[in-house]
Amino acid sequence: MGTPTSTTLPTFLALGVAIAGTLLTMALSVLYLRHVRMERPAIGTFNGVDVVVVFGFIVVLPLLYLVLPLTPLLVVLGLTFTSALVFGLRPVLGPAATWIVVGVVIAANIWMGRTMLGTVVGWQLFWIENDLLVVGAAVATANLYVQGGMRLRHVAWFGLVLAVYDAVFTFVWPITNTLAQRFIGWPFDPSVGFRIGIYNATIGLGDLLIYSLFVIAALKAYGPRAARGAAVISVLCGAVVPALLPLITDVFIDARTDVIVPAQAAFGPAAFLYYRWLRRTYGAERTMAGFLGRADVDRQAPTPSFALSVP
Amino acid sequence: MFETGVRQLRMALSMTWGRPFDTGSLTRLVADAVATVAEFGELGLEAREVIETPFADDADRADHADRSIRRTARRLADLSPFYAELFAASGFHVGTADATTLLGLPTTTKHDLMSRPRDFLCRGSEPHLATRTTGTTGRALEIWLSRYELEVAAALGALSGVLHDELHGDDLMQVHVSSRATAAVQLASMTCRLVGARCRVLGIIAVDDALDALAGSATTMSVNASYLAELVVAAQARGLRPDDFRLRRIDCVSEILSPAVRAAAEQTFGAPVSDNFGMTEVIPVTATSCSAGHLHHDLTMGHVEVLDLRSGDPAAPGELGTLVVSPYFPYRECMPVLRYDTRDVVRPLAGPATCEQAGIPGTSAVLGKASQLVEVAPGHVVTPRELVEAVEDLPSRPWPARFHAEPEGGRVRIDLPAGAVDGMSSAGLTDHFAERGLDARVRVLDDHRAPSLRRVRSDLRELGFVAPEPVGA
Ligand SMILES: [Zn+2]
Repeated sequence: MGTPTSTTLPTFLALGVAIAGTLLTMALSVLYLRHVRMERPAIGTFNGVDVVVVFGFIVVLPLLYLVLPLTPLLVVLGLTFTSALVFGLRPVLGPAATWIVVGVVIAANIWMGRTMLGTVVGWQLFWIENDLLVVGAAVATANLYVQGGMRLRHVAWFGLVLAVYDAVFTFVWPITNTLAQRFIGWPFDPSVGFRIGIYNATIGLGDLLIYSLFVIAALKAYGPRAARGAAVISVLCGAVVPALLPLITDVFIDARTDVIVPAQAAFGPAAFLYYRWLRRTYGAERTMAGFLGRADVDRQAPTPSFALSVP
Repeated sequence: MFETGVRQLRMALSMTWGRPFDTGSLTRLVADAVATVAEFGELGLEAREVIETPFADDADRADHADRSIRRTARRLADLSPFYAELFAASGFHVGTADATTLLGLPTTTKHDLMSRPRDFLCRGSEPHLATRTTGTTGRALEIWLSRYELEVAAALGALSGVLHDELHGDDLMQVHVSSRATAAVQLASMTCRLVGARCRVLGIIAVDDALDALAGSATTMSVNASYLAELVVAAQARGLRPDDFRLRRIDCVSEILSPAVRAAAEQTFGAPVSDNFGMTEVIPVTATSCSAGHLHHDLTMGHVEVLDLRSGDPAAPGELGTLVVSPYFPYRECMPVLRYDTRDVVRPLAGPATCEQAGIPGTSAVLGKASQLVEVAPGHVVTPRELVEAVEDLPSRPWPARFHAEPEGGRVRIDLPAGAVDGMSSAGLTDHFAERGLDARVRVLDDHRAPSLRRVRSDLRELGFVAPEPVGA
């Protein structure tokens, strides 16, 4: 059994983590959208201003990450994960069970992050726990937005702006890498990751969130076929291409040989073009009311299983 | 969502702290509500609490009233010449004003408003629209409203309409109140514009023209009770049925709506009729009727009292009293009134309500104008509502009721046109009224005298050169 070269192992690890993380998050988001109804505000639906607000957070938060000391940063992250999980689990488990589950998951993350990172197996266990946390948060947040009225149009524009942002922050002002490095080894790492040998591979919460948004917004707007197309684009442009690029060129490998790729730069334009194509082909997007009117979607409580076979 | 949250917060702050509303923000909040319904098919749970001050209990409600009264009185003392003078003359201290001390302040009457209209205009206000009462009782009264007042009332009305699914973008509202009731007409069209609904203001026109426009087209109708009665009679004469209409609700405002007319309207037009209280002088304070026939008063925007007709003290439960309404600032600012005596007679409920609106304080329905009560014997008063309901329940269905009533030897004498009592014997008539609790003697008059017996709003006919054709629907 030969030892993989220093570029192939991290590349395939990155590919595996990215594909597995993306597929798992997308699948759970779809399942959640079909069967769980989240609470929404009395008045209000997601609009263009909300895209700007969310983007504002995305731009400002990393800067805060760089400025804030680690402890307050971890507190902010912990609160963010807690609220996302509570929002997501409450409609499924009810309030009491939700707080118990979230409490256990959060506490375990802190404990594992502080005690188990001495060995590779410890790292792997920590990553699995952290991955659960991050995937759960991404599924909950994506559903919060889409069930709150976010449209595929919003997601497409969001993706396009993120593409520019991501490229700029990778090539021109590379703090993305600094960020990715900063969290490794601490609780509440906002990425899905895994470790083999000396290599850690991760895919960020933000990436998973935008892929899930794209898929479930497509499902809501144009149905399952459109959602499958969105999933293919997400996996190819968001996970496969960025992971394989380093094999072709080495501009994405930093001094520490960690793979840093602006995944959004590939995904954003592809997602936007796909949205334009869907719109031209199928017309206006379905509303949430139109989506909920379909037989294979649960309006309130879970429906009997035969309902799932209705086209 | 983010913007909507900010707008909701701003509205809540205005409602709670009494700061003037930002009408632009309020207007956009209506658009948000419309967009929410378009996206989700309905507003979220708890939408009700957005526009109705959620009163946790009586103490909470009393606290809201006290703070709102003090705020309103303070402003009037500063800016309203009439109230500055009245407060000084009656030793009313605005610093300690609340629902209790308000009882010591004389009520404001229609006569006050008619005789000194300029003194009611607040300094610095910008009057925009004059609206005259079209009341059937005496000379017209003119009230000035500011643009702000209209915008706030329209936006809150639109929000409430969307919230209760009373108005949505697919609706066509047909308005049959006098075109001279400018505030009501303006508010109806502004509300429709905010919601994206169509609005057809026709006024009190020939009933056949109104029916032509209504059939297969309008989905909601705003109408006076007397005109509704005429519409029902005409529709039935033409053999029209619910299938011929697209109405989903009928809003009846002012005048006494009898159960007979209401039932016939619901049967003919195939839509529920809601009976509401509203009055130009106290815009935007309104009341709605419940399934038990009570009138439930909106206590967010105004203070409502029921005062004994003679003593002016709060009326005892079950006793007759006049509705006295004080719209709050920041809902009214231009020509506001405080403790306005509407002379609309109601009875405070005798016991706790068990209806669907039990949480909102209620009274009986409006029983008529105080000046039209018939005192047949000391302590025995017959109300206009009793008379209208009994007359409109006659087999001949003489709608709207035309009659005159006055006391006569301890009974009530009811003058009716011959057509109304067609085919009934004198004894039969006495029985008809006795079954409805009225010890009455009927005097039959010529039919041509009918219109002069009782004036109703549908008498305010608006004429045209030719019958107008409905367009646009
Ligand atoms: Zn009631």
